[in-house]
Amino acid sequence: MVIVMEKHTAEGNIERVMSELIARGYDVHRSTGSEQTVLGVVGDVAKLDTREFELYDGVQEVVRISEPYKLVGRTFKREKTIVRAHGVEIGGTEVIIMAGPCTIENEQQVFETARRVARAGARVLRGGAYKPRTSPYAFQGMGVEGLKLLRAAADENHMATVSEVMEISQIEGMLPYVDILQVGARNMQNFNLLTALGQARTPVLLKRGMSATIQEWLLAAEYIMNGGNYDVILCERGIRTFETYTRNTLDISAIPVIDKLSHLPIIADPSHAVGRRDKVMPLARAIVAAGADGVLIEVHNDPEKAVCDGPQSLDPDQFARLMDELRIIVPAVGRRL
Amino acid sequence: MNRSDAEQEISRIRDAIDRVDEVIVRLLNQRAKYAIEIGEIKGVLGLPIYAPEREKDVLHHVEKTCEGPLDAATMRRLFERIIDESRSVERRAAKER
Repeated sequence: MVIVMEKHTAEGNIERVMSELIARGYDVHRSTGSEQTVLGVVGDVAKLDTREFELYDGVQEVVRISEPYKLVGRTFKREKTIVRAHGVEIGGTEVIIMAGPCTIENEQQVFETARRVARAGARVLRGGAYKPRTSPYAFQGMGVEGLKLLRAAADENHMATVSEVMEISQIEGMLPYVDILQVGARNMQNFNLLTALGQARTPVLLKRGMSATIQEWLLAAEYIMNGGNYDVILCERGIRTFETYTRNTLDISAIPVIDKLSHLPIIADPSHAVGRRDKVMPLARAIVAAGADGVLIEVHNDPEKAVCDGPQSLDPDQFARLMDELRIIVPAVGRRL
Repeated sequence: MNRSDAEQEISRIRDAIDRVDEVIVRLLNQRAKYAIEIGEIKGVLGLPIYAPEREKDVLHHVEKTCEGPLDAATMRRLFERIIDESRSVERRAAKER
């Protein structure tokens, strides 16, 4: 951290800042210029609140040079993390496609969808059993009965499973059926849930909050890793912008940015970002082209009859066509599918 | 001076610089030993590591002693770093006690 003092500030102001830093155990490198003095702060500055020092008399600016996160950063671990879930490797050379319905509705729907997406090349079956719905009157999910169907359908097609966990009390009951626990955008900063997932030893798929900065998102992942669970997958799913035509704006740039900042696998969800089926396929192509480690995509065997998010779900034929397109793109970015 | 003489001369001067550096390093360590002693005493007495008045005196003394070719401001900048490191050494000594 660097503290830039105002030009020609009184010596007493500089001494006050230095005294405080040194009293707190930091080393200070003072550099007195002809007009301006700069203080370099050395030590564990992650704990320091920069605003506190901006309030001192004579301080012009406080600049953080190091990132506030540690475990998720490339500085902590240079090589990319490969998350292993039920025989599927996320973060390796293979781009992993996770597909399935928004919500598990019944046996026929899950098995039919699973068969179709597996045949097209999906490796992970998604499906919600606990649904965070905007309205309390909307379908809230099948619970454990739904998870049993998800597991059975995935096993029949040699797939791993991913499903959203909404609260701490659900974690244990989900573990027998779910290979990847998903944290939804609305829960990205539910720090109690993140801490509890840090104690689990099951991979976690952490969606980006709809108004979260990349730094806030990485700090949320840091909560999970801080508990000892190092298997975290980050998932971009669109952020709130001024644009109203699409539900959210998929932040494609987050993919290369995360890849630079973090060793964790980064995937993206085009379905929730746009909320419209006709825009899902072009975005999925862009996600893969941008270098993502995977795509999370909603597919329903009969979208017109879907209980939830039908308009943003692909039907199995559209999904198969998308997979054909992605197979053409992946070699261009040095990956395989 | 021809080219080979010049090269020899550079190498001779560089050797001289290496000798001077050895003396500087020895003296800096001698200075650090005093800082450690002071740190230990500060630890016993519970005095703060940062003593701005004393730092001012040290810099003033250094500037006054400086006869060039380095100017006083340059010497001051160099000693600011030496003082930064002394504080760090003192702190460790005060803690380890």
